[in-house]
Amino acid sequence: MNVVGKRIKRVDALEKVTGKALFADDLRFGGMLYAKVLRSPVPHAEIKKVDTSRAKELKGVRAVLTARDIPGENRIGTLGAPFRDQPVLADDKVRHVGDPVALVAADSKEIAEEAIKLIGVEYKELTPVFEPLEVMREGAPRIHQAGNIVGHRKIRRGDVKQGFARADVIIEGTYKTPFQEHAFMEPEAGVAKVDENGNVTVWACTQFPSNVREEIARVLGLSLNKVRVIQTVTGGGFGAKLDISVHCHIALLTLNTGRPVKLVYDRPESIMLSTKRHPFIIKYKTGATKEGKLLAVEVELIGNTGAYASYGPAVLTRAAVHTTGPYNVPNVKIDAYTVYTNNPICGAMRGFGVPQVAIAHEAQMDKLAEKLGLDSIEIRLKNAFDAGSRTATGQFLTHSVGIKKTLQEAQKVAAEWKRDVLRNKEPTKRQGVGVGVMWYGIGNTGRPNPAGAFVELLGDGSATVLSGCAEIGQGSDTILAQIATEELGTQVENIRLVTADTGVTPWCRATSASGQTYISGNAVRLAAINARETLFQQVAVDFKVKKDQLYLDNGAICVEDTGQKIPIAEAIKRCRSLGILTLGSGWFNPQTTPLDPETGEGNPYATYSFATHLAQVEVDLETGEVRVLKMAAFNDVGKAINPAGVEGQLEGGLAMGLGCALMEEFVVEKGIIQTPNLAQYLIPTSLDMPEDMSVNIIEESEPSGPFGAKGVGEPASVPTAPAILSAIYDAVGTRITELPATSERLLEAIKGKSLEEG
Amino acid sequence: MEKTRAKFRVNSQDIELDVDPMTTLLDVLREQLGLTGTKKGCDAGDCGACTVVMDGKAILSCLTPVLQAAGKEIVTVEGLAQEGRLHPLQEAFIECGAVQCGFCTPGMLLSAKALLEQNPSPTQEEVRVTISGNLCRCTGYKKIIDAIMLASNRMKK
Repeated sequence: MNVVGKRIKRVDALEKVTGKALFADDLRFGGMLYAKVLRSPVPHAEIKKVDTSRAKELKGVRAVLTARDIPGENRIGTLGAPFRDQPVLADDKVRHVGDPVALVAADSKEIAEEAIKLIGVEYKELTPVFEPLEVMREGAPRIHQAGNIVGHRKIRRGDVKQGFARADVIIEGTYKTPFQEHAFMEPEAGVAKVDENGNVTVWACTQFPSNVREEIARVLGLSLNKVRVIQTVTGGGFGAKLDISVHCHIALLTLNTGRPVKLVYDRPESIMLSTKRHPFIIKYKTGATKEGKLLAVEVELIGNTGAYASYGPAVLTRAAVHTTGPYNVPNVKIDAYTVYTNNPICGAMRGFGVPQVAIAHEAQMDKLAEKLGLDSIEIRLKNAFDAGSRTATGQFLTHSVGIKKTLQEAQKVAAEWKRDVLRNKEPTKRQGVGVGVMWYGIGNTGRPNPAGAFVELLGDGSATVLSGCAEIGQGSDTILAQIATEELGTQVENIRLVTADTGVTPWCRATSASGQTYISGNAVRLAAINARETLFQQVAVDFKVKKDQLYLDNGAICVEDTGQKIPIAEAIKRCRSLGILTLGSGWFNPQTTPLDPETGEGNPYATYSFATHLAQVEVDLETGEVRVLKMAAFNDVGKAINPAGVEGQLEGGLAMGLGCALMEEFVVEKGIIQTPNLAQYLIPTSLDMPEDMSVNIIEESEPSGPFGAKGVGEPASVPTAPAILSAIYDAVGTRITELPATSERLLEAIKGKSLEEG
Repeated sequence: MEKTRAKFRVNSQDIELDVDPMTTLLDVLREQLGLTGTKKGCDAGDCGACTVVMDGKAILSCLTPVLQAAGKEIVTVEGLAQEGRLHPLQEAFIECGAVQCGFCTPGMLLSAKALLEQNPSPTQEEVRVTISGNLCRCTGYKKIIDAIMLASNRMKK
């Protein structure tokens, strides 16, 4: 292949190293106003009265808006009805600290901040509920009219009772995973501008421009074609930029004032409002034969989604589907509940529920291996999926099932590391090696999530590619350029990408679910082929050959066997001379079926990625501190369109997984965030990452993927924390079941264990 | 607020302008000089995205009152390339795949520039320590460290 599979430079790297890349906060317009949002200081209250009169009188204030000023529907929610439960501006109630109550647009940031302080709100406080188990009890205070349980996903396969009855060994465990903050480097920002015809344009960071347009149009009461959302260069998202942040607020303000309006979150606002990773309570029961074959799995998952649904029910659904891990289990019963609390909102975060269940299913596998005296990798190999395996939802996996390959590669490395551990013995330190595996369905769970693309081949052989795909740093622009280049037989320099501008690019699914390479990649590929076909048709006529004898080579269209050829640019010119335009369009939607509401049966994903990660840690017995000495990732990505990009995802995924396992502690007390800035919420720095970090790409080609590709964004991070926790156990014999494994928590656990033994 | 006249050099250009003495260097660079390559990630000195070089040292411009920059020589990401030629660090960042979302990139580049000016042959560990105040959520730091080592090797030649 020409460029697919090559380590080409990122197409957006030059503008990013020169400071020319324009993020939303870098935009300036003449006459621009600055917005600020008044937010609820209490977690649960009725709003009795909002008085904006004093704020409106302040010099330089151009608008003060409340719920009553919303021309359209005052509800948003990415999952759509019945999960559209979040007010753009609170009307009846506030449900978490930070709920927006009023908006100000003013001539300067300072005036906007001053005006916010002049708005008077009368709250009648209601009893807040913060604990999921409490909120599920009969008679608990209601956070939403419809009740506190917003989703219950069931998966049923076989007969778990019978499975456990036949089991020689049963392992049970309860696991608690915490909130996690995305901590993308760019806080949410946007600018909105209305034109003289009432068309609203929003420039903002987002992972989902198509949806932002739909939400804004509904809230403003405008038709979709009057709203244009242009995604600015986006400084990371990891899931939290899927939701609406500044978008509807600035759109309302520009419509109201007729002037451009900018809103930028400061870091505490970003931490307060971006949707977190759902804390899970997981009760997991595993039954197996004495040879270590899994017979039954019964699990209850409770996910705390905070004040609003956001992606909650979808997160719990994905979690439920993946709860068994990539293992054959004939009897499965899973109940996954999504519940409201008066906490910060939880939504999508890299892994979408799968990191939480992976922590549980991997700890269960380790425990099972230990109980049966089996090697931890051997027991995984014994149960891992193959082509032909059936998942808990009854889906047959027919191809591209790379889990065993990732395990086998990891096994060789783990053996070396274990020898290493034996050599490194210090009296107050212990080393250990751990393994974690995962599977991850690419694209949305049993829901349509298509993407489209347009291609225009221009007169000189260069091409414009239009795609709605949002580049958020993961590298999709480069991947799409490579795919178009490959199909058009040209060079990357000849491709100009226009992405994520709803004024010109076609509808596109979100940048989420590790799906853009697979889905937008396929759309671009199909659009390129479509444009190319027009050329081939004409060339075939001119050369008096059949179209399928033609192929592309080095910028030319060639005929098999005959040696005839014509440069692509010449062929395009020839078409033009005949009045034929070389345009292409394409779209792709993964082949899935919805899950049955009672049994969960269905084919939720068209393809799955698989991975095994290893970690070697050193635990200081006196301080409880864990140092990760080595990490290795073995990820089956189908095909690496750009291996350097895949490595970048894997290395970043390892870092995020390390943070999740050891240091990231998002503290909320009575609904108030105690870690409001990056000085309190600690994410890994360069000093936390081991020098020895190897990332290994495994390619089990996916026939329906572009050039065999699947996805990597989330699979890059899911098995990391399980591997680190497993390594800690290997080192000190203490299993951490409540994350993160901070030094305090670990020290306590080590002491507790020595007391038990002593 | 009473404005004060401030003079300094930014990217080899003499600058003289009226500033609010309470403003940070970051806000003056971004809002008054239009040098938006320098990023505001936390405005509290925690993330390093606002790092610029002042008189050869990497500083956090969000914690630097603008008057502290008076009479000083400042380099921002916009001033790294010279006469249309990329700085070796910029080239290395592109080549090594050290750029993902790009928001931490300017700060990383400037931290690295100050390091290489003071210590042209840093060890990997020294690089690691130098950028430990620059948070990156995308890369896991490996390719950034590789890029700085590569640039260091090239600049010595």
